[in-house]
Amino acid sequence: MAAAKASLPLLALLAVLAVWQLAALRGLPEYVLSPVQITRHFLQALGTAELYENIWASLARSLPGFAIGSFLGAALGLAAGTARWFERMLSPAVFLTYPVPKIVMLPIFMIWFGIGDLSKVLIIALACFYPVFINAYYGVRQTRTILVWSALNMGATPAQIFRRVVLPSAAPMIMASLRVSLALSFIVMFAAEMINARSGLGQLIRIAENSLRFDLMYVSLVTIAILGYAGDRLVRLAHSRLLAWQQPAVA
Amino acid sequence: MRFFDRILPLVFVGTALVIWEAAARSGLWSPLLFPSLEKIFRELGLFFTKTEMLLEIQVSLERALGGFALAAAVGILLGIVMGRSRFVAALLDPLFSGTYAVPKLALFPIFIFVFGIGSLSKVALVFLECLYPIVIMTCAGAREVNRALLWSAQNMGASRTAILRRVVIPATTPFIFAGFRVAVPVAMIVVVITEMVASADGLGYQVIYAMSSLRTDRMLAVVIVIAALGYALDKAVVLLRDRLIYWEKLDTYYV
Repeated sequence: MAAAKASLPLLALLAVLAVWQLAALRGLPEYVLSPVQITRHFLQALGTAELYENIWASLARSLPGFAIGSFLGAALGLAAGTARWFERMLSPAVFLTYPVPKIVMLPIFMIWFGIGDLSKVLIIALACFYPVFINAYYGVRQTRTILVWSALNMGATPAQIFRRVVLPSAAPMIMASLRVSLALSFIVMFAAEMINARSGLGQLIRIAENSLRFDLMYVSLVTIAILGYAGDRLVRLAHSRLLAWQQPAVA
Repeated sequence: MRFFDRILPLVFVGTALVIWEAAARSGLWSPLLFPSLEKIFRELGLFFTKTEMLLEIQVSLERALGGFALAAAVGILLGIVMGRSRFVAALLDPLFSGTYAVPKLALFPIFIFVFGIGSLSKVALVFLECLYPIVIMTCAGAREVNRALLWSAQNMGASRTAILRRVVIPATTPFIFAGFRVAVPVAMIVVVITEMVASADGLGYQVIYAMSSLRTDRMLAVVIVIAALGYALDKAVVLLRDRLIYWEKLDTYYV
C-alpha cells in the first residue's frame, strides 16, 4: 500500500507526459515542444560551454546577493529582536516597505551603481533581506521567557544568554526563512537578467524568445527549474543537519 | 520613555529624508541621477492630476487583482480538497512541493506565445505564482482541523456538507489569510516584473520608460506609487482578516 501510494504521483506525472507527447505527435503549436524534444535539446545543450557560462553568470549574481542579504537580515533581525531601541528605530521602516515589490528599485540601482553585476547583486540582496529579517526578529521574540529566567537564575551573562538560549530558539525560524530567500534570489536574478543583462539564464531565455529559438527557451527553463529545485533541497538538507534536535516542520 | 519610543522612527525617517535632500543639493551627483525631493513630489503630483497616469494604476491593479482572485478561488478549493482527502494529497502534494522553489517567471516567455503579449499572459503568471502559497497554507490548515471538533460535529449528526461549512472552513480561514498575505505582495511583484519585461502599459512599464529617458525623478515617483499600492493591498488583507476572523487576533502582525 505504501509503495502504491509513493508511486501514485509518479504514475500521474508519467500519464501527463504521455498525453503531452501524444498531443505533440498529433501536432501542437510551434512554441510547445514535446517532452522528448525538450529532453533532447537539453542534453544537447549540456554538451556546450555556452550553457555553463550562463549558469555561472547567473549563480555569480544570485548567490552573493543571497549571502549578503540573508546575513544582514539575520544580523539586524537578531539585533532588533534583542535591543528595544534598535527595534523601535528600524522595524517601522522594514515593516512598512515589506509588501513593496523590491524589483522596482532595479532601474534606480542601475542608474546609481551601474548597469553591471553590482546593481543586480544589490537588488537580490535587498529582496533576500526582508524574509530573513522578519523571521529572525520573530524567532528572538518567541524565545520562551522561562528559559531566559532560568538562565538568569543560574548566573548567565547577557552574552551567554544570547548565544545559548536566544540564538538556538531563533535558529529554526531563520533556517525556514533561508528557504524563502533562496527561492526569491532566483526569481529576482531571473527577472533582473530578463530586464537587462549580457549573460545569464534570464538573458538566454529573452534572446531565445526574441529570435524564436524555442529550443533554447526550454533549455533555459529546464536549467533554472533544476537549479531552483536543487538549491531548495540543499537548504532543506542543511536545515535538518544543523538543527537535528528540532522536529521537522510541516510543509 | 514612551514619547521617545514613539518619536524614534520618525526621527529615523526624517534624518534619512534630510540626508537625501542634502546629498541631492550638494552638487556631488548630477540631479539627473539623484533628484531632490521637490522634483520627486512634483512628479508624484502629476500622477494624480493626469488621467493617463491613473489609468496606468488601474491597468496594473486589474492584472494583479485578477490573477490573485483566480488563484484564491482555485487555491482554496484545491487546498481544502488536498487537506481533507489523502488520495488527492498523495497525487498533488509532490507536484506542489517539487515545483515550489522553481521560478515560475521562467514560463513567462512561453506564456507570451500561448496567451499573447497583452494582459492575459500577465494574469496567468500572477495566478500561477499566487496559487502556491494559497494552496500550501490552505492545505496545511484543512489538514490540522481539531479532531475533537470534527468528532463532536459527527456525533451531533452533522452531514458532510454541514461539517465542511461549519467546522472545516472556519478552522481553515486563518490559514487561508496567511496564504493571502504571502500571495498579495507576490501578485504585485509579478505584475511589475512582467510589465517591466514585456508591456506597453502599467506601472512596471512606466518605470522602464522613465529609466530609458533618464527621468530618475519620475522613476522614483512611480516607485513610491507602487510601494503605496503594495502597502495598501497588504493592509486591506489584514483589515478583511480581522473582520472575518474576529475570534482570533493576529498577534504576530506589527505596525
